[in-house]
Amino acid sequence: MEKTSNNKVLIPIMAILILAFIYIFPRIILNNFDAGNPWACYLYQYGFGFVTFMIGLLLIFKTGAVKLGRGRDTFWFGWLIAGFLIFAVGHIVWILLALHMPVKG
Amino acid sequence: MEMSGLNLSSSVLMTIGTVMVIYFVLIACFGGIFSRFSKDVNDFFFSGQRFAWWLGAASMIATGIGSYSYLKYSQQGLETGLSSAMTYTNDWFIVPFFMFGWLPIIYFARIRSIPEYFARRFNNTARYIALLIIMAYMFFYIGYNLFTIGIALEGLLGIPMLYTVPVATLILGGYVTFGGQTAVIFTDLAQGIMLYIAGGIAIGAGIVALGGFGEWWSWLPVSHRLPFVHLFNDYKFNTAGLYWGEALAGSIAFTFMNQGFIMRYLALKSVNEGRKAAVFNVLFTLPFSAIIVGAVGWIAKSLVVKQAAMGGVLEGINPIHIANHFHTFIVVAWECLHHNAIVFGFVIAALTAALMSTVDTLINACAAIGIYDIYKPLLKPKASDRHYLIAARWVSALTALIGLCLVFFFVNLKGSLMSIHYKGIMVIIPSIVTTIFLGAFWRRFNAKAACVSMVVGSVFTVLTIFWPTFIDPLAWLVLGKDMLSQKYIYMRALFGMSITAFVGITVTWLTAADPMEKSEGLTICTLGIAKQKYKGDKNVNEAVGKKVRRLVVELDENFAENIVSLSESVMSRMKANVGDIVYVEDSRWWLGGLRSVHTHAGAVHNLGDDKIVMSKSTYKNGMFLDNRLITIEKIF
Repeated sequence: MEKTSNNKVLIPIMAILILAFIYIFPRIILNNFDAGNPWACYLYQYGFGFVTFMIGLLLIFKTGAVKLGRGRDTFWFGWLIAGFLIFAVGHIVWILLALHMPVKG
Repeated sequence: MEMSGLNLSSSVLMTIGTVMVIYFVLIACFGGIFSRFSKDVNDFFFSGQRFAWWLGAASMIATGIGSYSYLKYSQQGLETGLSSAMTYTNDWFIVPFFMFGWLPIIYFARIRSIPEYFARRFNNTARYIALLIIMAYMFFYIGYNLFTIGIALEGLLGIPMLYTVPVATLILGGYVTFGGQTAVIFTDLAQGIMLYIAGGIAIGAGIVALGGFGEWWSWLPVSHRLPFVHLFNDYKFNTAGLYWGEALAGSIAFTFMNQGFIMRYLALKSVNEGRKAAVFNVLFTLPFSAIIVGAVGWIAKSLVVKQAAMGGVLEGINPIHIANHFHTFIVVAWECLHHNAIVFGFVIAALTAALMSTVDTLINACAAIGIYDIYKPLLKPKASDRHYLIAARWVSALTALIGLCLVFFFVNLKGSLMSIHYKGIMVIIPSIVTTIFLGAFWRRFNAKAACVSMVVGSVFTVLTIFWPTFIDPLAWLVLGKDMLSQKYIYMRALFGMSITAFVGITVTWLTAADPMEKSEGLTICTLGIAKQKYKGDKNVNEAVGKKVRRLVVELDENFAENIVSLSESVMSRMKANVGDIVYVEDSRWWLGGLRSVHTHAGAVHNLGDDKIVMSKSTYKNGMFLDNRLITIEKIF
């Protein structure tokens, strides 16, 4: 019962925060970068992507779909985090190589 | 649309055609070998939930890459560079939802098709609304794949689509109809390997023609090296649109509701294997596939830039002129392979393989839906298993035929391949993707809300084709800029998802909740119950044990079916208890579980640590061979 009433407060607050983020975040990016700047695109994808990913993590923890220490859950949770970092760091390295290596063309 | 990409002589065409025919025949025969492993309708569609992760993951390579991929991504690679890989590298954000939510739900609930999930989670009305949308999605892909291979063959061979597409469909229909899912998985495995080898040959030849990897990179303009395109300036391909339309809607559609992919996961031996396949697919297969399908376009850009800088000609290669960007792959591969008809024929066969492996999966998937959602519940509820197996083969043949008819619909459509593809997909998927999501992750979401939101969401999404200004406010919100371009492709999916979610949530709050027991085991918060139901026992053993290898089978005529007996030591190594589900397979790992069976651990025996006792029928169900050793592991 207590859990349900907690959710009744938590879910609307989260929804408002997410909507606020959706409104504010792209405007912050565009105030600081040109829309063609690769860092603007990176921040857009990984900013919204991070929020989506975190909602996913919150959901699987809150519902008990993941319990660290149960079966292989810890192992797979590690892979979830590692996968996100691999893509996020990989894209940073990719942008740096593209911008800073010599160009003939 | 310009069709003629290459001006090939008749002898060259004959060589290419011969290589392709040999390839087609070999693949059809290969698929035929595995048809004998489909002993019932469950095997025909799901291969009896018995394969190893690597087999599923490998066959997903070929399933995920269609013939359109080569044409579309090579063109995109030429025009915008490495950012063509964006659609293959933005899927990780939804992986938590899939790995710990959707995958265990459908696996433990033994869901045969997505409409079946809707029937069990909601009601039959929801099932048939979902069925209509999913069939539209599947048939769109089948028709589109056949259409693009028609374009490629017409451009290459000069033979009208009218002749090439029916022949390709006949061969495809043939081995799917008689082989079923096992044949599809194994032919896809072979074709995935073939596809990578052929793509690698084309890429290698291009890099050599440029003078090495360093030359390729240095001649590539900075704009073409970057992993992202402009945030929103091109409505056909932009970072913001791709995030909302492709990374969210498209990725959820591909992983959550694409029946072909779902069936791959359901063919695996456990949820744990499914997670391995999912991680491998998103982390390695997709990025690698992005290279295979797009790299020829990236090479083409470097070649064109270098060629212009060097005065129009490069040493050892003819000047490259790509008049029609659809033919980027074909033109660059042909020139870089120095007009070698045999090797080029092999590369083109791989392109055709991409078509076959995508379409065979879709045909098999459509047949699964046809049997489990239409034929069995509505027409023949209590027929024999053999009857359903025969019916499944007829449905496969019918599906192939419908796909063929749709090609003639695509022929009359205008626009680029890219725009035809995404314009269609972004209209079809938003409402169903959102409903699946709400159904799986929100237990309160009820049947009325599911039905109303799917219908309203679909109708409003279709309306935006005629009134795109509906999308303007949403685009303004997420882009942070007043676009008012009135040309939306990806934003249409976000609009459709938002409308569906809004209607779904509102109707749920305004109507009474469905009985709680109806959603047991079908939502993320009831996964514990799902596991218990799957096992048929309230005690779920989550302890992680070890595989035990090299066991010798001892048959016992008096032994109960669906139970095996092991020594105390083997049970201890597996950390198994009596009654746990165990997976028994032929010890040769490379069979990937082709000869295997799920059963239960029975009372222990004292015959020795290397013995596994089972009945003859269990042995037969596993399709085991005499004198072959056995490996066993506990599932839970």
